[in-house]
Amino acid sequence: MANYSIEDEDDFDFEYEGYLEEYASIQSIVREALPFELIAVVGGIISGILLSGMTEEIEMIPGLLVLVPGIMGLRGNISSSLGSRLTSAIHMGLIDGVDWKNKELQNNIVGSMVLTVIISFLLGVLSHSVSVVLGLQSAGLLKLTFISVTAGFISGILLAILSAYLAVGTFRLGLDPDNIVTPAIATVGDILSMMTIFFVARLVLYI
Amino acid sequence: MTYYTVKGLVKRGLPILILTCFIAVLVGQILSAEEQILVKYPAILIMVPVLMKIGGDTGGMLGARLSSALHLGFSVSLRKSPVVRNSFIAAAIVGLISTIFACVIVWFIDIYSGRYIPFYTLFVVGIFVYTLNLFIVYLTTVVLSLASHKYGLDPDDTVIPLVASLGDLSGVVGIFIAIVVLSL
Repeated sequence: MANYSIEDEDDFDFEYEGYLEEYASIQSIVREALPFELIAVVGGIISGILLSGMTEEIEMIPGLLVLVPGIMGLRGNISSSLGSRLTSAIHMGLIDGVDWKNKELQNNIVGSMVLTVIISFLLGVLSHSVSVVLGLQSAGLLKLTFISVTAGFISGILLAILSAYLAVGTFRLGLDPDNIVTPAIATVGDILSMMTIFFVARLVLYI
Repeated sequence: MTYYTVKGLVKRGLPILILTCFIAVLVGQILSAEEQILVKYPAILIMVPVLMKIGGDTGGMLGARLSSALHLGFSVSLRKSPVVRNSFIAAAIVGLISTIFACVIVWFIDIYSGRYIPFYTLFVVGIFVYTLNLFIVYLTTVVLSLASHKYGLDPDDTVIPLVASLGDLSGVVGIFIAIVVLSL
């Protein structure tokens, strides 16, 4: 870091640059972000272990593997943004406890579930049709859509409840929910969505 | 009238989610094309979710930092700004350490499970994905952040979901290239 001399203090540009260097030093960003990312890596590996235990289902339900990135993406996109909106709502004073009758909380959860159902339905339909167009095997429109919507719905509702408790709980403990809720939901979301895919795939094989 | 409405949330979220859903199906089809190799080498299958994640996570962090810098009104020019350069380098460092960390852990898990995959196989897979992250995910993040700011869109709504999808894509494409190069 630069050593400021007295003459340099007049130089606004120099100070401004110095401030930016400080604000955005490589070391400070890495130190802040790396621990979270390493925890996320462990979460990702746990969901990978679950995935590797599903080889039987993957082979017996053609198209199941096509759904996996989409269902995991739902959790990343919908549940994580639900978590970050709930933390904003707490900061704004719109939500002050886990009260399921609170309209703001209700609307946020219902909104995220409506998005989950629409997108997971689209995911099932698209996965099947693309497989058919490419001449690949598919377990069928009904099965793939059922797996996608059911797995999306179950993991979505569980994560919505978890986000509400996490956001309120961390806030009450005096922690900043922004730093905790989104990474926690992303990590738990990966594991939970893989577990629900596994569960629903087993269910489909039994039917 | 509540601050958040179901209709408002759905309307705002839907367009970008539909786009990411299309990318996810593309990612899924590429993954499905690798099915036989993945079933044969469970260690690589274990790496799939984590390799898809790292690019999106670190790219998302980069995007969030750039969007904060833009909101604060820092002049963010691609070549000159320390904000862009340092955030980019930091994302690259976090991505590299996380990738190697993932390779090592999965290698140990594989040994513990009584299989044996050479470490360099996992390492090559990781490095191909990482290289794609550098050239596709991070560069696109910078361009998308600057563009979405210029057109007055909130990067949180656009850049982060798109970057996560691109991270998934570079994950499965990187694995695909590694499979071809290693002729597994």
